[in-house]
Amino acid sequence: MTLLKLENVTKRFGGLTAVNAVSMEVQAGELIAIVGPNGAGKTTLFNIVSGVFFPDEGRVIFDGRDISRLPPYKRAPLGLGRTFQIPRPFGSATVRENIAIGAMFGSQGKKLSVRQSLEMADLYIDMVGLQPHKEKAAGGLTPIEKKLMEIARALAMKPKLLLMDEAMAGMNPKDIDEMVGFLMRIKTEEKIAIVAMVEHIMRAVAGLAERVMVMHQGAKLVDAPTTDALSDPRVVEVYLGGPPRRSRKQRERRDTLEETES
Amino acid sequence: MKTRLAKYYPLIPVYGAYLVMFFIGKNMSGMWQLMAMLAFYCALGQAFNIFLGMTGYVDFGYVAFLGVGTYGMALGITRLAHVEGIGLSVIVIGLALAVLMATLLSIAVGAVALRLRGAYFAIATIGVNEGFRYLIEGAKIWNGSEGMIFNAQMNQIFGREVASAISTFWADVLVLIIAAAAAFVTLVYMRSKIGYALTALREDEDAAKVMGINVTKYKIIAFITSAVFAALLGAAAWALKTPYVFPPEVFEIHYTVEAIIIVLLGGAGTLLGPVVGGLIYGVSKYWLAIIIPGFQLLIFAPIIILIIVLFPEGIVGMLRKKLRSRPEGAFIL
Repeated sequence: MTLLKLENVTKRFGGLTAVNAVSMEVQAGELIAIVGPNGAGKTTLFNIVSGVFFPDEGRVIFDGRDISRLPPYKRAPLGLGRTFQIPRPFGSATVRENIAIGAMFGSQGKKLSVRQSLEMADLYIDMVGLQPHKEKAAGGLTPIEKKLMEIARALAMKPKLLLMDEAMAGMNPKDIDEMVGFLMRIKTEEKIAIVAMVEHIMRAVAGLAERVMVMHQGAKLVDAPTTDALSDPRVVEVYLGGPPRRSRKQRERRDTLEETES
Repeated sequence: MKTRLAKYYPLIPVYGAYLVMFFIGKNMSGMWQLMAMLAFYCALGQAFNIFLGMTGYVDFGYVAFLGVGTYGMALGITRLAHVEGIGLSVIVIGLALAVLMATLLSIAVGAVALRLRGAYFAIATIGVNEGFRYLIEGAKIWNGSEGMIFNAQMNQIFGREVASAISTFWADVLVLIIAAAAAFVTLVYMRSKIGYALTALREDEDAAKVMGINVTKYKIIAFITSAVFAALLGAAAWALKTPYVFPPEVFEIHYTVEAIIIVLLGGAGTLLGPVVGGLIYGVSKYWLAIIIPGFQLLIFAPIIILIIVLFPEGIVGMLRKKLRSRPEGAFIL
């Protein structure tokens, strides 16, 4: 079942086309990675899906409904959760309250009382292993703890689709492996689709995603199963630069320049 | 049963303080006016805290709501004075008018200004206050700049003795009741989804939106609630206590600044904060004016700066943090 469908989505900021006619589909329960170098338009694409920006062209269809012009607070109850590149905890509230806020206004929010939401928060605190920090102000957590808290908060919203913005940036390899394992687990346990955005950490992409979409300069470059995508020459070029011949030419040109100078 | 009541424990120190103020004023001669002033500041903080403390938005036009509340009561009394046997029910009508006018004004202002953020909101609200004042003066609404004096109507409705009891005693009691009611509503909000939504939007409005919170709705709820209590306060502390109303006095931005100081001193977004802030502000303003008349503000400013630097979360904010894990913490919110 197609959960999320983007149809030729375009977003411009003045003269800059941040996202250029991107189309993609996410099936229910699927785990997809969106990769691409800095400035490829990944975050803008996320912002369009979660409603921070409206697309200039194209449509966003979630769960069979056109949500292109729906304000963000109306999208979350439909089952759209997200985390942020730089964690954005509600600093003065405790970890437990933060996660309960997710439950309260998420897809099941209308049915939950404050007390039920707080009880539900406890479940997710256990899941991410933040019990010792439960009653601490979220602003005082370490960056990794903040990330975990944000994931728990997004999961408490009971989303059908979870958008994870740079979930693993700044983590060491051990933490990345743990996080990958954790994401695989919640994907099966909570039965949600995850779209994870990853900038550079291919270790995470390879371990995590079934399918990879590579973005470059606002456009979709490759959309293929993980192993195919990562070995695609175009992807290699985007990440590592073009074939070496061109650089030799540049070196020669520099040499001639130096000669004429001396 | 015990746990259900435990929800209301944080009201104990708040109501305790109000009762102590009442009994000191009632039983110690010459203290009533001082206690009335303190009660006014506490109530002002308590009402403003529902908006400023819970949303983090600074409304520089807040006093406009006290102003329309004062007008609400003044209109009720002056227009209905001729009705035979209206008696004390005119006060209820006046309060209702105050609430109605503040609700309308806050919806009108909120619908426009609450789309703005941070400093822009603050600037827009200054404009609202000044604009409303000059509208009343310029368009000669409700007697324009001449204002209204309704001593005579008060005497006509209630009789001389009751009218004097109202303005010297019952108006102040009403202020205390309004403060207590505002504290109760604050607690109910804090423990409900409204409170959680407001915390979220105060900390990070964009993240709150993405989390499914209709931020505009919750901001407007807080804004209207806060405005209604301000109007009630204006009706009681300004109209009933001093039976006249002049635009330059009731739209004086000075009171907004006082309200901001009280909320920040005590601790924005806390329940007990406005009481602590109101008492500290009121007492120091009173004593400094006696000890060093004329220089009180000069001394007062560094005191405020000192408190803000030492306790950036306000006095109660700091206390609450310290006592969070202790049993006494259940009483401080």
